[in-house]
Amino acid sequence: MTAVALRAEGLSKRFGDTDALRDVTLEVRPCEVVGLVGENGAGKSTLLKLLAGVIEPDVGQIILRGAPVRWRKVRDAADAGIGMMFQEPSLIPGISVAENILLAHEGPGIRLGIVRWRKLFALARAWLVKLGMTISPAAATQSLSFSERQLVAFARALAVEARTREAPILLLDEPTSALDDRGVAAVLQTVEALRTRASVVFVSHRLEEVLRVCDRIYVMKDGRCLAEREAGTLTVEALEQLMVGHEISTDIARDAARPHVAASVCLEVRELSRRDKYADVSLALRHGEVMGIAGAAGSGCEELCRTLFGIDAPQSGTMLLEGRTVALRDPADAVAHGIGYVPAERASEGIIGAMSVAANMTLAHLARFCGRWAIDRRREQDVAERWIERLRIATPSATTRASDLSGGNQQKVALAKWLVGRRPRVLILDHPLRGLDVLARRDILETIRELARDGVGIVIVADSLDELLAVSDTVVVMRDGRVSARYSIAEDRPTRQAILESMV
Amino acid sequence: MSGGVAAVLGGLRTSGPLLALLALTVGFALADSGFATLANLRIILDSAAVPLVLAVGMTFVIRQGSIDLSIEGLMAACSLVFALAVANDRTQFDLGWLGLPVAAAVGAVFGLANGLIVTRLRVPSFMATLGLGSIGLGVAMLLSGDQPPLVRDTPLRQWALGQTFGVPNLALAAAACLAGGFFVEQFTRLGRYSYVVGGAESVARVSGINVDFYKVVVFAFAGLMAGLAAAMESARLGLGHVEIGAGQMLGTITAVVIGGTSLSGGSGSVLGSAVGVLALTVLANGMVFVGAPPHLEKAIQGAIVLVAAVLAGWHVRDRLRIVK
Amino acid sequence: MGTVGPAKQPDGNDRFAIGGGRSGAGSGIATGLAPVAVLVALVLAISAFSPSFLSAYSLRVLAAESSVILLLAIGQTIVVILGGIDLSMAALASLTSVIVALLLPELGAGAVLGALCIAALIGALQGLVHARAKIPSFIVTLAGLGLWSGIALAIANTTVPVAGRYEVIGWLDAHTWGVPNAFVLGLAMLGLFQVALARLRFGRHVYAIGMAERVALLSGIRVWHVKTLAFAASGLCSGLAGVVMVARTSSGNPTIADSLLLPSIAAVLIGGTAITGGHGSLARTLIGVCIVAVMRVGVAVAGIAPAYEPIAYGALVVIAVAITVDRQSIGIVK
Repeated sequence: MTAVALRAEGLSKRFGDTDALRDVTLEVRPCEVVGLVGENGAGKSTLLKLLAGVIEPDVGQIILRGAPVRWRKVRDAADAGIGMMFQEPSLIPGISVAENILLAHEGPGIRLGIVRWRKLFALARAWLVKLGMTISPAAATQSLSFSERQLVAFARALAVEARTREAPILLLDEPTSALDDRGVAAVLQTVEALRTRASVVFVSHRLEEVLRVCDRIYVMKDGRCLAEREAGTLTVEALEQLMVGHEISTDIARDAARPHVAASVCLEVRELSRRDKYADVSLALRHGEVMGIAGAAGSGCEELCRTLFGIDAPQSGTMLLEGRTVALRDPADAVAHGIGYVPAERASEGIIGAMSVAANMTLAHLARFCGRWAIDRRREQDVAERWIERLRIATPSATTRASDLSGGNQQKVALAKWLVGRRPRVLILDHPLRGLDVLARRDILETIRELARDGVGIVIVADSLDELLAVSDTVVVMRDGRVSARYSIAEDRPTRQAILESMV
Repeated sequence: MSGGVAAVLGGLRTSGPLLALLALTVGFALADSGFATLANLRIILDSAAVPLVLAVGMTFVIRQGSIDLSIEGLMAACSLVFALAVANDRTQFDLGWLGLPVAAAVGAVFGLANGLIVTRLRVPSFMATLGLGSIGLGVAMLLSGDQPPLVRDTPLRQWALGQTFGVPNLALAAAACLAGGFFVEQFTRLGRYSYVVGGAESVARVSGINVDFYKVVVFAFAGLMAGLAAAMESARLGLGHVEIGAGQMLGTITAVVIGGTSLSGGSGSVLGSAVGVLALTVLANGMVFVGAPPHLEKAIQGAIVLVAAVLAGWHVRDRLRIVK
Repeated sequence: MGTVGPAKQPDGNDRFAIGGGRSGAGSGIATGLAPVAVLVALVLAISAFSPSFLSAYSLRVLAAESSVILLLAIGQTIVVILGGIDLSMAALASLTSVIVALLLPELGAGAVLGALCIAALIGALQGLVHARAKIPSFIVTLAGLGLWSGIALAIANTTVPVAGRYEVIGWLDAHTWGVPNAFVLGLAMLGLFQVALARLRFGRHVYAIGMAERVALLSGIRVWHVKTLAFAASGLCSGLAGVVMVARTSSGNPTIADSLLLPSIAAVLIGGTAITGGHGSLARTLIGVCIVAVMRVGVAVAGIAPAYEPIAYGALVVIAVAITVDRQSIGIVK
């Protein structure tokens, strides 16, 4: 019996411009629960996906029970005994619970292509019972509540055990994030019980749970494994300390004095709620203020941004722009009111790759570039060139296709879209620095500061506390859908740890 | 009771389609005394037979998220093949009852082509089936020549026009297809996976299911049903005709949609589609009694598809959902 | 990224409303010129068969034959670039022909204008339902196909001869300097819409939505406005096609255009406009229409059975889509 059940050695993975994982080495021993913690964007989900066979690593090896393996698809990993529970719900709606649990490995449940329902239900029931669930395997998946569905997804990961004689390895990505107390207790109980016969990798931002149930903990940040500790030696504070890491580099400096924050409010929300996403959120953004919103997965900050831009409607609460109530029906309304939005997924939401840089820049306010009836190409070109210079966008010309640019330059184009023509009132930036190199980050942060000096109200949602602190005047922390803390950087001078504490 | 069956019956019990069918039946019965007779019931069952066979196949296709716009062309080609394969006035073939499986096989081959074009060439199904349907029509035209071949196989024709215990034979055949489709849907891996592929194809792929294989089989199955339907109709009419499938495309899709199968895939059952077919047949039949202009049928079908699609999609009108 | 594309032009239309050269979509010069090559090959093959094919008379017949398909293809191109499809165009054209034939004697030019307005409004309605209710365009227009065809049949279940005031539209069937007027109308509409696509805000929005609808939405474009307008344009084109048909046959008929749906879609796709949207142009469609027209006439000239026409359209459509489909953006093919 090998001393190590699963070993990831030197794993690296790159998505386009972004390094999601950098040379990560990690070990999982038999009959142990390993915790994996880190901020958003630290690479935890990517690592799990590599181990489960969802994606393949660029560099590095995975060694399972002493032998190197290479998964081409999830089925290979599952057959070898690695089961994964994903962060996003991934059940098939139109079928029964039993079929979901046993999907693609029904075993004796399907013989010669014919489904034997009684056998299928019996097999599925075994897994449900292990989780203490009373729902019937014949139940329609659609009729389950969200937490019940999470547990069924857990059962599906568990069912991997039947596929192999070896001890299974379970990868759980935020298994308790959307569950009520009972659900959480059930999951934790099961994980503890699993220790006797399986290995578990437990990813969560709920640090008390991680400490409760794990034997060892790895801390990740920016795609690297920062530290490994025995859980018994840690407290929550110590863990947070580790997560936060070292002092920020002097590259991302801040000026402490922010006199340009005006007193007048440009954007205000009162008791904004959207069921299952966030509740009772009240914020007031002043002209020239940079408000950073921090929150872990499931905290609701991304959903809040979407509401502010009119993508989703809130169920209750009001939104005020320059003191006047507005109800945004769609993003076009938001844009008409002078709100801009730079989405997190720049390739699929921020720019149109097949269009030129200039066309991308003018996309939001094309009317301003029209002569009497047609688009004024000359003006478009001129303005584009001006902004290319101003934002230091590295591109051969304004007519270059946007997909030919590097990630950082694409992001600058996505940002420029809201700056050409007319200065926006409010700019919402969703993870604006994700995946950018140091120079691009510096340029964009500088632009943000400049805009703030010009009186634009800015809302930033970011992964890294460093970046938020580098540029924000106010930091609002969200947890489980509610605002858990507010800090004014100038007055309160919160430490990174304090902020992290309000997040988890 | 199988997991799927419970869901299906539950759905039907509370469902609109059954209520609609009942409402239509009662309405027309009240409107005209000639409607609610055994003779008319026989006519309704007979008229519903061919559309029902088509709907069984189409249900599988729509449930996996695709669409089949080729059935009119497929029926044309299969009808000609059938007419030329059994005793007829043009060729020497006399395959008799074998004509039915032969026609079905031709349909299956076309369906297979549909599936391969969609999965291998990555052509969206509405385009692939539109093109293949046109090819089928051309093939039918080639086979037909100047005059449609007449079917001279007496036993076959008598069977198609006859009854057993008062029930039209074609209706019995259609019922058999329905039962077969239901069995496949509820008790076979193919059937269950058509729900999976339609419901969340990416999850299916990631789980290691050979999605392309199941897609191709479903298209072939739909083609098989179309071929069978063509043979049935040709036997009834006594000839192989290029226009034999005219109007069936919209009608079949309407029936499936009424029956509760969502156009976005992942749900629905052949039983629901059967109710849909009956509802549309009763509607067309009743309209004759009431004296409504016959061509309104097409317009009504169009309206129904529209309303059903709107209603089905209403609660998922997420603002950012992209629909092409 | 290493994509093959047309040479960078300082002020070329292509750069802003990208019409060709895109990775993964059968990109580049090859696909750009393929339709032209096919056209040339076809013309050469058929003239080898029958040398009189290239005579002025025969070309005139060709142009007259293709004017209806040209009009339909123009509307279809706009919708396809947007990322959708319009299956109802032929039915709408037939409906228009019935309306015009019935009302022409009474209302003269008013009948034509009225019918065109109705067609455009119907198109707009389809676009609106598609955009607001988020129903796929092929479903909405499939339903439309049934609706407009059914209504046309209900109004007049057989050919309606034009009983008077034919001269209001009769000129469409005539020639000016040897060129059929209907074809000139088609070319004029082509030019008009090409300008709209290339120079107007509307055109830029159409391409943006076709290329990346999500980005277009998040950039504040009122997508449903654009979609409604685009489908209104296709409705208008359907109406014009119907009017031309009345001029050519001196009658209206509820099913007259039914057989033209597939050829018009084929023309758009064979010309190289990708079904996935965001790329293509009306110039390409013109080539496609020429190919389809040459095929239609050539088939008759070469003595090939007419049955081969639908087979050819079906095959060409599938091949054209298979080549031009943008595999990156299409994701899951359903």
